[in-house]
Amino acid sequence: MPTDTMTATLALPAAAAPPRRRSGLAWLTPSLALLALFFVLPVLSLLLRSITEPEFGLQHYAELVGSWTYVKVLYNTLLVASVVTVVTVVLGFPVAWLMAIMPSRWSRFLMGCLLLSMWTNLLVRTYAWMVLLQRTGFINQTLMKWGVIDEPLALVNNLTGVTIGMTYIMLPFLVLPLHATIKALDPAILRAAATCGASRWQAFWLVLWPLALPGVASGALMVFVMSLGYFVTPALLGGASHMMLAELIAQLVQSLLNWGLAGAASLVLLVITLGLYALQLKLFPAKGGQHAA
Amino acid sequence: MLLDHDRLGLPLRLSLGAIGTLVVAFLLAPIVFITLLSFGSSPWLIFPPPGWTLQWYREMWADPGWLQAMWHSTRVALVVTALSVSLGFITALALVRGTFPGRALLRGFFITPMVLPVVVLAVALYALCLKVGLTGTFVGFVIGHLVIALPFSIITLCNALEGYDFALEEAALICGATPWQVKWRVTLPALRLSLFAAGVFSFLVSWDEVVVSIFMATPGMETLPVRIWSALRQDLSPVIAAVSTVLIGITLLFMLIAALFKKDDDHGH
Repeated sequence: MPTDTMTATLALPAAAAPPRRRSGLAWLTPSLALLALFFVLPVLSLLLRSITEPEFGLQHYAELVGSWTYVKVLYNTLLVASVVTVVTVVLGFPVAWLMAIMPSRWSRFLMGCLLLSMWTNLLVRTYAWMVLLQRTGFINQTLMKWGVIDEPLALVNNLTGVTIGMTYIMLPFLVLPLHATIKALDPAILRAAATCGASRWQAFWLVLWPLALPGVASGALMVFVMSLGYFVTPALLGGASHMMLAELIAQLVQSLLNWGLAGAASLVLLVITLGLYALQLKLFPAKGGQHAA
Repeated sequence: MLLDHDRLGLPLRLSLGAIGTLVVAFLLAPIVFITLLSFGSSPWLIFPPPGWTLQWYREMWADPGWLQAMWHSTRVALVVTALSVSLGFITALALVRGTFPGRALLRGFFITPMVLPVVVLAVALYALCLKVGLTGTFVGFVIGHLVIALPFSIITLCNALEGYDFALEEAALICGATPWQVKWRVTLPALRLSLFAAGVFSFLVSWDEVVVSIFMATPGMETLPVRIWSALRQDLSPVIAAVSTVLIGITLLFMLIAALFKKDDDHGH
């Protein structure tokens, strides 16, 4: 009796509940109004400015495609997102696997570490990496003390810095869902593989990996999409020569006041992001988009 | 075999264990180092520090800018939490229990602010707030953070309501409870853990929000992340390490409270 329970929670007299077709819609009004006014409207008008400012036309899109500077920004964005995704998967897969099979005390400890890093303020994490990776930072000092290197390595303001900082941020987003995928697999399947004579190597590539692949792919896609739109960490760890799309948008608005071009760059970022999310939902319908819960 | 820790075989067990240890070190290193360095006496954040000091904390307290930014952040986050949980609750209730067409689609729509690159939302909101004069105001910050925090509340509470057995309410009604009693004494207590979780998510999302805030801020009204951001663009002063340690402490406190709540709930059932 969905209508009865509905009215009960909405604090109407239960007896006075005629079966209504559209009950509950009114309760969406405040949140719909909030999002319409402060989400849909401003985003649409930003995108509109890309073809109306300063005059009507596609000139901003032509500039984005035609200028070497902007093409390089797009290339950097895709490069950083790809490198971060690969490193995150390479580090994250063994951890998710380990977490799924370790004694629960240890897996709880790993989970605690992941959650602590995930919930620590983003700027604090980025600042910490700036400190650790700088020329006089702990990592360079230690490597020099051990005689591994003679000169401090350039670890920030380049691709290395962004990759380390971004991998740190993205790791929990891959490990947590992947851990659930592997945990849900039945160990008997692998015992069966062993009984049938599979070596460890075969059991991994022919059984475990294919079974875990949907989890890996959906996690990797999510990491890739999230990396594409990141602003803070690349801006602080990446340096000017490795500008990404999100930084470009911020700079166009803040320093150059070029709203038209910023709108066009936003549309490019939005189309790529939403396109990949649509792909994710199509490929992995059950879990897509609900990672935060 | 591969899903049984004791039968992994020694080489595999050792290599997985090594990667696990490495990743734990990777995860904890920034947090541990910043905490230690905030007590170190080196202004260039050399590790190990030549001596230990509370100087950076004193500088933080002496600077009214840091305290003011913390106060602004807290006020904004509290209002955002209250609005996000209450709006999220009625929205989730309607989405899970309502009987109107297009519910799945609407549910997807409510998640979009989380999916969209924040920088696009930030620039768009900035343009709107410039027009109506909301930049640098309390209301502007609350609106920006609320748009980002609301999806977290809605997802958490939708999941909770889907797992909630509505027959409980009917049972209470049959036993003679009034609808208000049902709401206050059955539904809310049953969902208290999820409401609390939605609150924690919303608070942390608002408290940590950087991108929208950078655009929204004016020198007169900035939140803590904005102040850290501007400080970071100048130098890596150890005062930021002290502020960071305070923030890490707050995160740990929240995780502890959440863990206690969870334990309490495990015992309760």
